[in-house]
Amino acid sequence: MSKLTAEDLVRLRDKARAAMDFEKQGYRGKVVMHTGTCGIAAGAEKVMAVLTAELKERNVTDLVVTTSGCAGICSREPLMTVQLKGQSPVKYTELTEAKVKSIVEEHLVGGQPVEKLAFVMGCEAAY
Amino acid sequence: MANDLIQISVCSGTGCLDAGSLLVRTAFEDHVRSQGLEKTVAVNFGGCAGTCPQGPVVTVEPGGVLYHGVQPGDAAAIVGEHLKGGVLDRLRYEPPEEPSKIPSTGALPLYRHQVLRVLRNKGLIDPESMEEYIARDGYQGAAKALTQMTAEEVVATVKNSGLRGRGGAGFPTGLKWEFASKSVADQKYLLCNGDEGDPGAFMDRSVMEADPHSVVEGMIIGSRAIGATKGVIYVRAEYPLAVKRLQKAIDDATAAGLLGKNILGSGHDFELSIYLGAGAFVCGEETALMRSIEGKRGMPRPRPPFPAHKGLWDKPTVLNNVETYANVPPILLHGADWYRSLGTQKSAGTKVFALTGAIKNVGLVEVPMGIPLRTIIYEVGGGIGKKNKKFKAVQMGGPSGGCIPEHLLDTAVDFDSINATGAIMGSGGMVVMDEDNCMVSLAKFFLGFTADESCGKCPPCRVGTRVMLDLLTDITEGRGKPGDIETLIDICDDIKNTSLCGLGQTAPNPVLTTIRYFRDEYESHIHDKWCKTGICRDLASFEIDPEICTGCGVCARACPQEAIVGEKKKPHRIIQELCIQCRTCYDKCKFNSIQIKASRKLTGVAAAAEGGKH
Amino acid sequence: MSDKPNILVVDDESIVIRSAELVLKGAGYEVEGANGGREAIAKMEQKSYGLVFTDLKMPEVDGITLIRWVRNARPDTGIVILTGYPSQDTIKEALSLGIIDYVPKPFTPAVLLDVTQRAVHWVLERRGAAGKGEEEKEDFPPSMAAELDKVIEFYRDKPGSLIPVLQRAQEMIGWLPVPALRRIAQGMNIPPAEVHSVTTFYSFFTMKPRGDHNVRVCLGTACYVKRAEEVMKTLEEGLGVEVGGVTPDRKFSLEEVRCLGACGLAPVVMVDSDTFAGIDPKAAMDVLKPYG
Repeated sequence: MSKLTAEDLVRLRDKARAAMDFEKQGYRGKVVMHTGTCGIAAGAEKVMAVLTAELKERNVTDLVVTTSGCAGICSREPLMTVQLKGQSPVKYTELTEAKVKSIVEEHLVGGQPVEKLAFVMGCEAAY
Repeated sequence: MANDLIQISVCSGTGCLDAGSLLVRTAFEDHVRSQGLEKTVAVNFGGCAGTCPQGPVVTVEPGGVLYHGVQPGDAAAIVGEHLKGGVLDRLRYEPPEEPSKIPSTGALPLYRHQVLRVLRNKGLIDPESMEEYIARDGYQGAAKALTQMTAEEVVATVKNSGLRGRGGAGFPTGLKWEFASKSVADQKYLLCNGDEGDPGAFMDRSVMEADPHSVVEGMIIGSRAIGATKGVIYVRAEYPLAVKRLQKAIDDATAAGLLGKNILGSGHDFELSIYLGAGAFVCGEETALMRSIEGKRGMPRPRPPFPAHKGLWDKPTVLNNVETYANVPPILLHGADWYRSLGTQKSAGTKVFALTGAIKNVGLVEVPMGIPLRTIIYEVGGGIGKKNKKFKAVQMGGPSGGCIPEHLLDTAVDFDSINATGAIMGSGGMVVMDEDNCMVSLAKFFLGFTADESCGKCPPCRVGTRVMLDLLTDITEGRGKPGDIETLIDICDDIKNTSLCGLGQTAPNPVLTTIRYFRDEYESHIHDKWCKTGICRDLASFEIDPEICTGCGVCARACPQEAIVGEKKKPHRIIQELCIQCRTCYDKCKFNSIQIKASRKLTGVAAAAEGGKH
Repeated sequence: MSDKPNILVVDDESIVIRSAELVLKGAGYEVEGANGGREAIAKMEQKSYGLVFTDLKMPEVDGITLIRWVRNARPDTGIVILTGYPSQDTIKEALSLGIIDYVPKPFTPAVLLDVTQRAVHWVLERRGAAGKGEEEKEDFPPSMAAELDKVIEFYRDKPGSLIPVLQRAQEMIGWLPVPALRRIAQGMNIPPAEVHSVTTFYSFFTMKPRGDHNVRVCLGTACYVKRAEEVMKTLEEGLGVEVGGVTPDRKFSLEEVRCLGACGLAPVVMVDSDTFAGIDPKAAMDVLKPYG
């Protein structure tokens, strides 16, 4: 990458924003696995493996699957946030293999948040 | 009249902010001001209603009318309709007939009180992607500081923001920067303390792991302010993931020209590297940390000279902690007044806490300064984790801090109010204890820590903490004697008054606060040979209350000594001669029928029989 | 071994001298006793001692007087107090005279050895004792020595790089044997005593070999509140070693760590780099099963 100027930085921001917007990139939704030390220790990586395997088996390719830092609710790790087009982000907590399977089935494929497994819906206040 | 007041809440959730809710809010404010409606219309930020794809979302009271997709140009129309008592149908959002059973963040107490400034990118970006950081306004604060402001202006902004160091003592960050900026030298250093030695604290680890670029950006701004060209982040070697992600952030920022020579064409140079700490709590003290970076034993030295004049390698040096730096970029971006809009007069902004211990929601929370402890513990934290257990105390500030009891739970969380309780804000560890925690053992635990971590330079700390630890060990093992409490207080005063650095000066705090608020526990340990919680095994005997016992037999099956006997469905009994006070039965009993009484061995059986007299 | 300073134990109760001798000789120290301050001074006039352990309350020449004399006449001798419950004033006075440490009476062998070890470090540091030049058998393979030399070479001219070098060395070897420290001292042109003093200051460094699997119990506050001490006890009993020790078959070493920063999962145990959460104190040994 070449050296940035302040103007480049603004352009880069707008470009990166568009790149992070799964809708603009032609995807149907985004799944974020939270992998801080806590999450990993609680098994986030194993859950992530189950998730990717499930998605592959069902040939789901229109979702962005990514990782991010700790979501702050350590006692309920592992955690995952799911946001589909037209829906609020939904957080699922204390994930297990079985839970991930029903989330894939009902939410990621079926399009309906799994009410009995979801912890919270929406965004956190910042500013 | 209050009833006529129209309240407009613009959602400040991250989704709505991304959709432009900040501009919407400003438009409402401008409109209200220009029309002179301040007395009838109030504009503020509100929580997320869980309708994010419709953002920016605006709620208007009375009536709870929800608008979606609101643009700045819609402000006048919305205010106009509501003044007439109507509703603007064009933008009105009708929630689905069967609302989702999933609670929204705005409705859950865990989220309702939180405002993310330091943790603004928490869980939203890939920490290893600089582009994603930049997408969320990353490095815009640094760009402003480097290309549009003088060093003096940067210092003034941080000073006016009222930001105080988040590492413990709460020294004003802007002031620290001002001292160093005025020092004249051929080389200055800017350091970041990511050593996070307090047991029970993990805020900094989380920030470094989840948003490493925010630390790097804060340091770039700081380096501009004081004129430093070299920086070091001192991180615990026990945090491998944080180290890995920070290193990637530094490498990426360097490749992009955000670190190195002539950053963003401003003419300012700043190189940043990581230094792995090797595990010594005292290195949280600034002069000790600098010695450690020089490759020596990390022992503190007297001040003055202050590091702002003579620090690392005898050059002017500023040290701030991770959370402090992470606060800086948005201050530059949004201004000092924005920062002051949360918090109290003397403690501006938000504070991140690591909420742990006997609490329901263990985790990382960020709340505005000035919020009462009770709100953090009972609403954000969800209260005590185990049912039927009562809150006993909350420990703040780690080994340098103290325990705050129930009757002080309405204390506002700001630097000065917390200090007044005898605890300290510290770096933000908040360990909650319920009635099953023994306060004397807890004091012993912390003393064990400081005795171990004392660097050994000052005898009052090195030997004094050992003497205190021995006294506390005696008390918890049944050898306490009258006068021990006074001796402890005496030694505490001596250590406080005669230690060179913060470690020694604050080491007595856990003991002093537990004596101050839980003196009765010390007394029952010493005089009655009774630890009410049974944590001190030597000071407890366990008995089954026949009135409560249902004879379910759970305790008898769990007892490793097979010391519990009784017929099914009839009250059971513990054979005292076999009991090793392991507390298993107490933990297992669902009916709270196990009672913890004074030690039979130390008081004689007769006394134990009336153990509840205290 | 020549770098173990000899010790003089001073007390007016011979049982204290006898038990201290028993413990210290068992650990390979050369120990002598003196029945009171007068006899101690007489002995020290004849012979030099590395360390003096002394009681405070003794008839005729008491501990404080003895400490004063030692400070003046034998400034290189380290002093440790052995005492029951001292009044604060005497402790203060002793401190102002510059003692190294203090052992409460009655003491357990572990406490005495622990304090002795630290006092020995103090004495050795004062002497700069490590650099006597005697060759010791290299107990790490030559390939590692070459590797270590590369690290030293890389950092040699960078100021303040002793700690990174030690970190890299420990990463390679697993612990820091004395020959490695010597090599580093020589290569970096830093006095061996300073290398030793830095190594012993930081808890991250260990001069004891570790087991094949390193078991670390977090004793942070959150873990403590969730009874990590009992977890530690179970592991100590189960492995048959105390914290800091290695099992005789060198399979496991047991350490405590101050906080792993995973408080939400308390109590936490780490085996090598795997983290185990929410350990039941009674069943702590189960964690080690997969490591055989």
